[in-house]
Amino acid sequence: MLQPAILILLLPLLSAAVIALFLRRQGGIAAIVSTLTAASIAAMALILALHGGRGEDQVDWLTLGGFTLSLGVKFDDLAALMLVIVGIVGLCVHVFSLGYMHDDGAKARYFGGLSIFMFSMIGIVLADNLFMIFIFWELVGFSSYVLINHWHEKTSASDAAKKAFITNRVGDFGFLIGIIWCYWANGTVNLTQLGEHHVFSTAIPLLLFCGAVGKSAQLPLQVWLPDAMEGPTPVSALIHAATMVAAGIYMLCRIHVLMVPDALTVIMWTGAATALYAACCAIVQSDIKKVLAYSTLSQLGYMVAAFGLGSLATEENGIKVVIAAGVGAAMFHLTTHAFFKALLFLGSGSVIHGCHHEQNIFKMGGLRTKMPLTFWTFTLGVAAIIGLPGLAGFFSKDAILYLAFANNKAVFAVLAFTAVLTALYMTRVWRITFFGAARSESAAHAHEGGLTLTLPLIVLAVLAVIGGYVGIYPKVFTGVFELIPEAHGSDHTTILITSLVVLILGAGSALLFYKPSATDALEERSPGLFRLLASKLWFDEIYQWYIDKVQQRFALLLNFLEQIFLAGFIVRGGAGLVGLFGLGARALHVGKLNVYLYWFLAGVVVLWLFATGVL
Amino acid sequence: MIHAGLNAYVLLSALLFAIGFFGVLLRKNTLVIFMCLELMLVASTLALVAFSRFNGTLDGNVFVFFILTIAAAEVAVGLAIIVALFRSRRTVQVDELNALKH
Repeated sequence: MLQPAILILLLPLLSAAVIALFLRRQGGIAAIVSTLTAASIAAMALILALHGGRGEDQVDWLTLGGFTLSLGVKFDDLAALMLVIVGIVGLCVHVFSLGYMHDDGAKARYFGGLSIFMFSMIGIVLADNLFMIFIFWELVGFSSYVLINHWHEKTSASDAAKKAFITNRVGDFGFLIGIIWCYWANGTVNLTQLGEHHVFSTAIPLLLFCGAVGKSAQLPLQVWLPDAMEGPTPVSALIHAATMVAAGIYMLCRIHVLMVPDALTVIMWTGAATALYAACCAIVQSDIKKVLAYSTLSQLGYMVAAFGLGSLATEENGIKVVIAAGVGAAMFHLTTHAFFKALLFLGSGSVIHGCHHEQNIFKMGGLRTKMPLTFWTFTLGVAAIIGLPGLAGFFSKDAILYLAFANNKAVFAVLAFTAVLTALYMTRVWRITFFGAARSESAAHAHEGGLTLTLPLIVLAVLAVIGGYVGIYPKVFTGVFELIPEAHGSDHTTILITSLVVLILGAGSALLFYKPSATDALEERSPGLFRLLASKLWFDEIYQWYIDKVQQRFALLLNFLEQIFLAGFIVRGGAGLVGLFGLGARALHVGKLNVYLYWFLAGVVVLWLFATGVL
Repeated sequence: MIHAGLNAYVLLSALLFAIGFFGVLLRKNTLVIFMCLELMLVASTLALVAFSRFNGTLDGNVFVFFILTIAAAEVAVGLAIIVALFRSRRTVQVDELNALKH
């Protein structure tokens, strides 16, 4: 029954292998192979989600004494939903890449990277135990590294790739300890078995959350995501906006049975802080991709906060029902966010492509008439993210706000304020990019891309519009969607009014404040505030200081000790001892036959003495 | 005819063995060393034959048959090696056969 799922998993691996082995010089064929693979993944994912059954199965992979590492597939509604998202967004990005990367010199490497990414991501989606998730988790990190590093001749790109990889390693370290601890405490890491019974502990979920902090770029490991924008724009859309960074949220939803209230509180505040922090940073960015990157951070913070807000107890016919509303709200927002953020990123890719790789929004302007299709789809994306009523983001954001309102008013305030900022910076970037007069040569000659560039935009725009209506999703995802919290009565009115006020406040002030011009209005009017926000709270500088002054010195000390004790004492000392013995033994070998005979004689004498019992 | 006792045979055997042994230790010519080795073998067979004769059993004689057979094979191989050695090195002096060391 699960063969189709395994086929979906192995198909991109096959594609990547074929590209790596045979098509390294045939970029064009590699692109077609990879895109066809993505198309079949999307089709099969849809068929499997809609018509296939749900189930799980595993095989033992490695047995070491009493410890067994198994590989398995757990295909439930959550996995089906995520698989469909990865499939659809992946296909859109592949098609977009056909146009965007058309003239790239290393197309084969790029499309091979996309395929290996699809393989890793689907592996996380289907995995049925934490060890297997970890394996694919690292593979995702690797493919992200490869794709950020695509233009590796640029120092900034290779630095960004290293930064992303190393920052993720920091989080993964906690993740790995969490997995081992979980195994130690529960005797299993299988998700279903953990759901049946497990030890209640605060440390385990928090350590596992470390992995999500790294992969989903939450505070304090958020530094890599904005830098990762050095990669090609479709990569940013696929990996650093819609799917890979959502893997952290997905993993949290997978392990939500392990959660305890204390851990959830930490997770909630981490998410809320990230949402607010990133929204503040996004306001002052001038690079269109950086704005979207911080917006992604902020939305991921939303999802993490939604997850941390936890369950919701409702009264139903006099019976108290507790539902894991955090999972529902987080996954719902993940779904809609995947659609509109991929749309926004691909839209920005279209803009960048049209403007001959100009990324500074202050050098754009007037693109509304030159790139009408990009403008309209981007507008829909912006409307969806700022929560315009009727579009995808409106519903999922309301679900989160309602959950916050019901569980924690302080988080509600933070998230509502973040929503104001979201509306502000998205309207700002939209207005400055598309309105006014062209402010540079490249923007003046901007043009709409070909069909491969526009078609994914249209598909994603449709999804961004309708993605918020739970009713349109087939009934097969009920396992996730029935968990989405819905406000009733006066709460409903409060949330609705809040989100409308937030929207009007944010978008209105942006429209009043930011005129399409070559300079940042905030920088002119309030340079102090601008500098504060542009500093990003000195996270990078603090880490740099820490690495230079603390870690590097500590490493020098360790290296010194290592040179003396390990390399000096143990390794060289041991070798010297053996060498000394060898020197003595070598003296016995003089190369003269009769001398050896004397040794032989001596040996016989010793043997004889031993046999007679003298020795 | 003097009737020699077992002690005389064993003494002769030991003497022959000692001659052979010191020859192996002290001589430098490989061919001579080889002959001395054979002498040691023959000395031990002499003792075995004597034991067999004086015990009235055939055990020692059976040993001797085997030893002679092995010795014949050994001589064939050993002499062939020495001949080959001389052909390649133009010498059979053990002092000069020090390729293992140098």
